[in-house]
Amino acid sequence: MKTTTPLSRVGFMAVDRRSFLRMVAAGAAVVGVPSLLAGCTSSSPTGAATSGRPIGDVIPSYIPVEYVTPDFPSVNGSVPGFLTLPKELVQSVASAPGSGATFKAMTPLWGTIPPTTGNQYYKAVNGMLGSTIEFQITDGNTYGDKLATVLASAKDVPDWVCIPTWNLPPRFGSEIVGNVFQDLTPYLAGDKVKEYPNLANIPSDAWKFCVFNGKLYGLPFPGGTLNDAIFYRKDLIEGMGITVDVKSGDDLLALALELTDAAAGRWGADDLWTPATIIHSVPPKWKLDGGKLVHRFESDEYRAALEWNAKLFASGAVHPDAVAGQTGDAKKRFQSGRTLIMGDGLGGWNEALRDNLASNPSYWQQPFDYFAADGGKPVLFKANPTNIFSFLKKSDDKNKITELLALANLLAAPFGTTECDVITNGVEGVHYTKDSAGLPVPTPLAATELQPTYIFLVDGPVTETHVQYPGYVKAISTWQAKAAEYATDPLFYGQQISEPQQFGSLGQPFVDLELDISRGRKSLSDLDAAVTTWKAAGGDDLRAFYQEILDAQ
Amino acid sequence: MRFGALRGRRPAAEPVRDGAARWAAPSVPVRKIGWRTRLKADRSLLLMVLPAVGLLVVFAYVAMLGNIIAWQNYSPYTGFLHSPFVAWANFERVFSNPLFLDAVRNTLTITAFQLVFFFPIPIFLALLLNSVMSPRLRTAIQSVVYLPHFFSWVLVVTLFQQMLGGAGLVSQTLRQHGYAGFDLMTNPDSFLVLITMQSVWKDAGWGIIIFLAALGTVSPELYEAAAVDGANRWRRIWHVTLPALRPVILLLLILRLGDSLTVGFEQLILQRGAVGPGVSEVIDTYVYYQGVVNGDWGFSAAAGLVKGVVSLALVLGANKMAHLFGEAGVYQKA
Amino acid sequence: MSGQVPEISLDGAVQPVDVTPADRARRRKRRSKYRPAWEEEPTGLGAAGKAVVLTFVVFAVVFPLYTVLLTSFSTQAETIRAGGLVTVPGELTLNAYKLILSGSVVTRAVLVSVGITAVGTLLSITVSVLAAYGLSRPRSFGHRPILFIFLITMFFGAGLIPTYLLVSSLGLIDSYWALILPGAVSAFNVLILRNFFMGIEPAVIDAARIDGAGDWRILAKIVLPMSRAAVAVIALFYGVGYWNAFFNAILYINDNAKWPLQLVLRSYVLQGVNLPGSGSGSVDVVHGAVSGLPLQMAVVVLAVLPILMVYPFVQRHFTKGVIFGAVKG
Repeated sequence: MKTTTPLSRVGFMAVDRRSFLRMVAAGAAVVGVPSLLAGCTSSSPTGAATSGRPIGDVIPSYIPVEYVTPDFPSVNGSVPGFLTLPKELVQSVASAPGSGATFKAMTPLWGTIPPTTGNQYYKAVNGMLGSTIEFQITDGNTYGDKLATVLASAKDVPDWVCIPTWNLPPRFGSEIVGNVFQDLTPYLAGDKVKEYPNLANIPSDAWKFCVFNGKLYGLPFPGGTLNDAIFYRKDLIEGMGITVDVKSGDDLLALALELTDAAAGRWGADDLWTPATIIHSVPPKWKLDGGKLVHRFESDEYRAALEWNAKLFASGAVHPDAVAGQTGDAKKRFQSGRTLIMGDGLGGWNEALRDNLASNPSYWQQPFDYFAADGGKPVLFKANPTNIFSFLKKSDDKNKITELLALANLLAAPFGTTECDVITNGVEGVHYTKDSAGLPVPTPLAATELQPTYIFLVDGPVTETHVQYPGYVKAISTWQAKAAEYATDPLFYGQQISEPQQFGSLGQPFVDLELDISRGRKSLSDLDAAVTTWKAAGGDDLRAFYQEILDAQ
Repeated sequence: MRFGALRGRRPAAEPVRDGAARWAAPSVPVRKIGWRTRLKADRSLLLMVLPAVGLLVVFAYVAMLGNIIAWQNYSPYTGFLHSPFVAWANFERVFSNPLFLDAVRNTLTITAFQLVFFFPIPIFLALLLNSVMSPRLRTAIQSVVYLPHFFSWVLVVTLFQQMLGGAGLVSQTLRQHGYAGFDLMTNPDSFLVLITMQSVWKDAGWGIIIFLAALGTVSPELYEAAAVDGANRWRRIWHVTLPALRPVILLLLILRLGDSLTVGFEQLILQRGAVGPGVSEVIDTYVYYQGVVNGDWGFSAAAGLVKGVVSLALVLGANKMAHLFGEAGVYQKA
Repeated sequence: MSGQVPEISLDGAVQPVDVTPADRARRRKRRSKYRPAWEEEPTGLGAAGKAVVLTFVVFAVVFPLYTVLLTSFSTQAETIRAGGLVTVPGELTLNAYKLILSGSVVTRAVLVSVGITAVGTLLSITVSVLAAYGLSRPRSFGHRPILFIFLITMFFGAGLIPTYLLVSSLGLIDSYWALILPGAVSAFNVLILRNFFMGIEPAVIDAARIDGAGDWRILAKIVLPMSRAAVAVIALFYGVGYWNAFFNAILYINDNAKWPLQLVLRSYVLQGVNLPGSGSGSVDVVHGAVSGLPLQMAVVVLAVLPILMVYPFVQRHFTKGVIFGAVKG
């Protein structure tokens, strides 16, 4: 009965990632005291006041290295796909870079905790590294709380800290990063990265996002450029005799309605808010309209997306559980055929195949080819190039930092290397066995010991290598290549901008409005009222803040 | 009173439940005893309280000093000593947002509703169970009825969704027989009833435990004597059972009143999308979304302090009222 | 259970006179053998009403429990077919439990949790009983201020960061004591105990005092034996609190080998979360085996099991008819 502060109760619930991201997207990138900014695109050198060097000078040079040729090469930045696993693996790092030291690393995990003693996976990777990385793994959903407390207590900060973008604490850019973490510019900028070839292999956009206040601090976990897709159950829909030909927002509405049959327990769609923003080309934060900055909430696209989503809900095509906000079960509904259209990250595709092909060999889901709501040419905004960073604790010990970077270099080994193979699959015979097609089949031990840990520190560029699902790599690679045609950089793409604290909760009313308007509890006039309030409460100041940054570029 | 004779006969066996009699000023005037004597006389009691107080001072009170950030523009990195002082700015921000009033309104509505429709249920259930004759049956029921308390709210909401949601068991059955389905989970108008139902389902069974313990302190001889004196079932409940429960009920009631501003955080966050913040925004969620999500520690601390002060005032007020009704309440003036 | 039968012998009660064999038969049929003679038969309506309510209550509780249990024994495919929780038995499997119970992590976590709960409950109940008794005499020295010390902690908490900094400065990070000491005293529980202690017949205590007993002896020899139910209940509350706590472990325990059970079990529930930006990358959460709903339900079942085992021991103290041996006649 004791009145605990609400924050402590955050831990009690599994905050759905999507709702979390909604809050982050609506709120701020990184909230902090106005700071000296460097952000600028790669093309022009910066003129920002006190920030120092152009960002192009601060990030490592991009020196790509390819160990295996992809069957579906990258097109316009799409993810390269591989149809088979390479027979020969190359060892990218000649000898173990470590000195036998032990480092503590704090990482999140959405999964079961692996044992810390006698873990052969750790032994194998640490063997490759030559040093030991001791993980302090934390429950992924409450990672933000843990981070907040650890960063407040300097002595408790471990050597290597992973911070997902959605957990970046407020004032990170202004106060924390410079004081707690190590500036990596002198170690990695420009050609200095040649000592770490695997780190040089990481694309520049990912590195740019790791620059805070004109200095390089973070090590990236690179992500794909287009992450969200609108999936439909191709197997079930075609089984009903319907051909899918969706080229506009109205087509999608019609399809969803056609597929709905409440008595049979089948609804056309789940909550399609994210898809709505995609097809209506809603800018993630800002867009330029005739030289003026227009915020997402003010934009016509946002309004149109809301209107469309409200129409969808009103038509009755949305599953009642989705109407009730049960987003956590969206995949279960989709995979069981209770909904037939769903928005999801691309990573959900291979996971769905993993979970369903065994018991339902005809299971197939497919993303719609991108289209624009009005039937015209779609405009797709690229997602953040990095979603997870890791930082090294500030230290005067140059050897320690170089060693950690050398370890990072090994961990970032790309596809086709022995290191990548061990990190991904573990030890042959212990964690997996090769089947007749040469594919690794995990052993039961893998389920307990092999958990994503090292990838939270740093990882190589994204590749599509799920060769075990027939037809999958081809489907996703070709789809991505087509989609990448429409990919454009949103304004301030890849720039790490710290917004002042006072703008922190400006976007909160819109998070609620998105839910309310979609479900018909509020109308678009409420949106207009909210926008007016937003402008007065700080929106215009925010605009001025960003205008300054824009002008400096 | 009908049982006056009973009282006269066996005064020692009957637990005196009438709080007023217990702590009313004695008719014999008390000599003024010096505090040193009292200290000496009560030193064992003080010694007994010491460990608990020590733990509280260290882990509760020292930590409570951290609430100083309510008056600061606090940043965890800069720390308590160096974060800029902003006087009452955080408090102003708590109150100035128009959403705050909505949150308060919702909180009070939910508290009042649940006071009437949730609070009495464990008492009623405890009495009901107490009247079940077969001990095996009683034990069996007691052993399951508390289990939902251990389900997380995520699970509880999921279960309700699966039963009463638009695609739930009940709706689907109706649809299959040609009727229209219904959706209890996304209806803002019935939200109050829904969350109370959820709370009852989850916590009523657990709540009976304390009352069962209290009921266990009543000697059955009392019931027998009352029955022999001619009291029927209802009078026995009124004159024997309920007085046995009265102190516990009152204590819990006062504490519950003190806790009025806290109503289901996780439960409400989980269903916010379903019914909208219009009916589901309460003080705790308001503070969460306005402050905590943005790492605005000063804001949450300020809100926490305001809540604490009001809750304390409510408890003191409720206690005073209890005194007016002749009850002991949580503490007395003696 | 033997303790449940009322201590009153039926012989001493007044038996109604049976006039005809029919009367006798009717009487025998209707009287429950547990009903003391002085208690009247329930009316038909009353009994029916009671039965309806109780059946409804039991059903409302048991059906979801059954669903959870059934889902934990179902295969992943079965839950997909059912679109969520399984209500009708289909494919059954022990996979979920096998996965959870096969890890050495779980065994270790069980030991950690059991240890923390046992030590914590013992500490808490001792400290609370002492404090409750120390506060049970309203006119004792410093009664009100001390009571307020407890009361205030019920309404004012410390924030996340101050508590963490405090624990860290005491050097308790990564220590099991960080999971016990901060929450060892619950003012609510102390108040409840105090309430029960104050409800004890003062004549009994006065008599003992006249006999020369000090407060310690009164507590040990008189108050505690008479308050078994209350102490059992509060011990249960504390025990459950320690057993279920996990957020403090998230904050204070860095060494994953020291994780309590709840935290480990929770991590099973988090599986299969799609990381943003993982796109089509190589973020593959657990390979193969069981993930999803059956696992989550198995976690729920395992988390509840210990309480199920402990509760009967506590319940024993709620028996009807605890005779106050000290004050007969």
